[in-house]
Amino acid sequence: MALGSPANGAAPAQPKAGRHRESTLYQALAGAGAGDGRTLAQLREAALRAFESSELPVWRRSGFWTTSLETIDLDALQTGAGPEASGGERAAVPDVVSRTLPDRARAGRLVQNVNTVVEVELDPTLAERGVILCSLQDAFRDHLDLVSPWYSKRLTIDRHKLEAANAAFWSAGAFLYVPPGVVVEDPFEIVYAIDRPGVAQYARTLVIGAPTSEFRVHEYDLAEDFDSEPDGKRQALHAGAFELYLQDGARCRLAQVQDWGSGEVFDVSSRFVGVGRDAYCHWLPALLGGHLVRQHLELAVSEPGGDMAFRGIFFAEEHEHLDVFAVDLHETGPSGGDVHWRGAASGESRASFEGLIEIDPGAQQTHTYLQIHSMMLSPKARIDAIPSVLVSSDDVSASHGGTVGELDEAAIFYMQTRGLDRPAAVRIIVEGFFEPLVAELQDEALEEVVRKKVAGKLAAAREDIEAYATSR
Amino acid sequence: MADLEIKDLHVRTEDREILRGVDLEINRGEIHALMGPNGSGKSTLANTLLGHPAYEITEGSITFKGEDITGAEPHERAKAGLFLAFQYPVSIPGVSVANFLRMAINAKREDPIQVKEFRTQLQHAVELLDVDRAFTSRHLNDGFSGGEKKRAEILQMAMLAPDVAILDETDSGLDIDALRTVAEGVQRLHDEQGLGALIITHYQRILHYVKPEFVHILMDGRIVLEGGVELVERLEREGYDQIRQEVGAGPTGALASGDGSV
Ligand SMILES: Nc1ncnc2c1ncn2[C@@H]1O[C@H](COP(=O)(O)OP(=O)(O)OP(=O)(O)O)[C@@H](O)[C@H]1O
Ligand SMILES: [Mg+2]
Repeated sequence: MALGSPANGAAPAQPKAGRHRESTLYQALAGAGAGDGRTLAQLREAALRAFESSELPVWRRSGFWTTSLETIDLDALQTGAGPEASGGERAAVPDVVSRTLPDRARAGRLVQNVNTVVEVELDPTLAERGVILCSLQDAFRDHLDLVSPWYSKRLTIDRHKLEAANAAFWSAGAFLYVPPGVVVEDPFEIVYAIDRPGVAQYARTLVIGAPTSEFRVHEYDLAEDFDSEPDGKRQALHAGAFELYLQDGARCRLAQVQDWGSGEVFDVSSRFVGVGRDAYCHWLPALLGGHLVRQHLELAVSEPGGDMAFRGIFFAEEHEHLDVFAVDLHETGPSGGDVHWRGAASGESRASFEGLIEIDPGAQQTHTYLQIHSMMLSPKARIDAIPSVLVSSDDVSASHGGTVGELDEAAIFYMQTRGLDRPAAVRIIVEGFFEPLVAELQDEALEEVVRKKVAGKLAAAREDIEAYATSR
Repeated sequence: MADLEIKDLHVRTEDREILRGVDLEINRGEIHALMGPNGSGKSTLANTLLGHPAYEITEGSITFKGEDITGAEPHERAKAGLFLAFQYPVSIPGVSVANFLRMAINAKREDPIQVKEFRTQLQHAVELLDVDRAFTSRHLNDGFSGGEKKRAEILQMAMLAPDVAILDETDSGLDIDALRTVAEGVQRLHDEQGLGALIITHYQRILHYVKPEFVHILMDGRIVLEGGVELVERLEREGYDQIRQEVGAGPTGALASGDGSV
């Protein structure tokens, strides 16, 4: 069966490659959807050709930042995939997963370690009602009719070498389907874990919310610390592709907790969330660590009446490099959007955030707002935030704002005079800085995970923050 | 030896010397008033006593309960029992008054305070300051009116039960009812807990409700005149100019206390 012939839901995407200056400038905006009628095998083959003919990508915003993968040794990384891996000792759920995930009620859980799915668990009453949670690989075998209209519908396969690698080599993956009208309170957890260095993980997620379904998805991206490995042997790659499609009136709260630990993990991922007619998505990635992370995130309101809240938290530390490109895309109106990100950086880390509001021709009566607030915790850390707006309709409102801050010394002194030491005061300020977004997760267990990670990073940056104070 | 002893304190900021030899002694259970024209260095003294990093002590010492705290960290001074009610309290977004107070109280203790005990204490303080209980779930000073901020300062003081508190113009920005509530609160903490206080003010009115035994006048970085409540009345009558002339204080004037510094 051919892929990309939509059975229902959103109309086929118009090719968009090269339409904007930015797309040629640094290959940022989405190209044509890959799901244009080709079979999975054909897409894999096209992706393989793109992989072989392209160089490792570089993202550049001149005068601000360059994200380059020149230090990754791609040839040295194994995929560790295949059936032989699934039976062996690697088939266990890695420790980092049990250490990090909250002990809580869940609708289902899928864990992929490196390139093997090591656990799939789904509430049986949900399975009876038609909910599907399985590896994407199995979904292609068992649910081709559900998968094919959507697989890679809006993701590209050839913008750069790692995107192509993902499309060509992914083997396990995750597939979640929530049938029409099914409302699920507890979250579906999708976990990508890397338990050892020297591997390349290709993560491929497809989530479909059928009309008027309501559910939560929590993705976790985690790695062990690889602390015992010698320098030069601590590399791993996560190349991810994630797509979520919400059909008419569907509602989803999507959150992602990413922390690749202290190993040298590269994460280059593309994510697309499509919001259909009168559908709603609240999306909050919490990007909390990785040696080099490049995330291309797009939240698109594709049909009239769609609404979304696009939130994000990031915290870069030590020598980490984070590059986020977040697009708030309105393809039709009336539609609403609200983008709000908050990030901090300590150590000698670099974080760059580019937020783009894009309103297509015909997306009349769209109202959207983008704000990005950042906080520097060390003199050698750097955060660049660039909001931009591309509007091709007239009856719309789109604006942006934000703040760049350092620690408020007056607030620190104030708290010290109440008996709190400096690290405690800093923690209160930074936690208070993230709190408005953390509280929006509206899920106590998940909020605690994020708060704990933020607190851990602050504790780790303690000396750094101390030195910052005395240097000023 | 007095509980809080300030000896020949010289303080400067990056660009100039602000305090030029201040001597002051305050004991638990004593109420002092500190008055002086704008810019004379009152807030500088208050901030320096709590260890604000912008102020450098070039000479002199601060001793508290027998310990030299001249170079101590601000939080150590607070834990030792000093408190500052700020002239301009800053806002701390993202943390409620109650949570903040719990953290501050716990910072002083070995074991965290029991929920019940904390609630009782908070209830007491809330009644003392005549604020709504809901007030304590608001983010600290975030969007507070001027009067609310000042009440929040004294509420914290009541909860943290210091030995000596410095109140930097806590009375300004308060309407007459709020002023009475706040001042009576201070007086009660003095009567019931033996609080010692240094009340920095420009006005006589707060001193109708809290009775100082000692009044000090600060001009150009020095204490130029000391006495009892009668000084306050004299000040209101005559103004600072008269006193300035009398004591010969000026930007380059001689000192009342007389220790000739350069
Ligand atoms: N951090 C600082 N940096 C530079 N100058 C300062 C600083 N703090 C105070 N000053 C200066 O020191 C002098 C004394 O200021 P201070 O705030 O102590 O006066 P004050 O007596 O409290 O006045 P007011 O009655 O207006 O509150 C002023 O000239 C002020 O501008
Ligand atoms: Mg002052």
